[in-house]
Amino acid sequence: MPSPTRTVRSLLPLPGKLVPAASVFGGGLLGSAAREAAVALLSTRDTGFPTAVLGVNLVGALGLGWFLSRRERAVAGRASLGFWAIGGLGSFTTFSAFSVDTVRLWLSGRYMAAAGYVTASVLGGLLLAWAGQRLGSRL
Amino acid sequence: MTPLLTVVAGAAGALGRYLLSGVAQRATRSDFPVGTLVVNLVGAFLLGAVAGADGFNGATVLIAFLGGFTTFSTWMVETLRLGPRSVTAFMNLTLTLVGGIAIAALGYTLTN
Repeated sequence: MPSPTRTVRSLLPLPGKLVPAASVFGGGLLGSAAREAAVALLSTRDTGFPTAVLGVNLVGALGLGWFLSRRERAVAGRASLGFWAIGGLGSFTTFSAFSVDTVRLWLSGRYMAAAGYVTASVLGGLLLAWAGQRLGSRL
Repeated sequence: MTPLLTVVAGAAGALGRYLLSGVAQRATRSDFPVGTLVVNLVGAFLLGAVAGADGFNGATVLIAFLGGFTTFSTWMVETLRLGPRSVTAFMNLTLTLVGGIAIAALGYTLTN
């Protein structure tokens, strides 16, 4: 049983301790479906501000912080890590859309929106991931 | 374009992320989350290229794939886990952020 205070630096399992690929794929199905649903619900076509991507990224950061913190305490299996963390929350959030959204806002002259989007995403993401970790150590 | 196809594409992206990031991470034998950095930069570049080529109109499956291929949450959590007030945490944050936006812009201008 791993020490409950051991902090995993990299999210990835150590060499020789892989997670089942099927668990990553399965979690990816769930995470992608959830992201598509969230984007469909949250997209604001009138303003053009990427609220949907911001939303899933913030929620995903909170969830992953919570899950990994809880996993360190509860010793969940590798399939669980592959399904929920790598597959599920990993694909629920998206860095590619975040980057391209920022570029498009900037290129269309919406500099304040681009700066606000980056700030909200990064500061919000770090804060929520941290909050998730705190929650995970308790709940 | 059935929703099922895009969801499967996203799952394939997640699998691709797991495989590529694993290869990259094991190659560096380091604590620094190189694996996540690599997939995020590659994915940002490709999506930038897609957006530059035809906006988001045609390549729905590729866009869905890249959504699963890249990850924002892992980036956040790995940054925190590098430790507060640590240089490597700051490096992971800024390299990914600045690198990602820059490489997305590069992809965009190459195809636009």
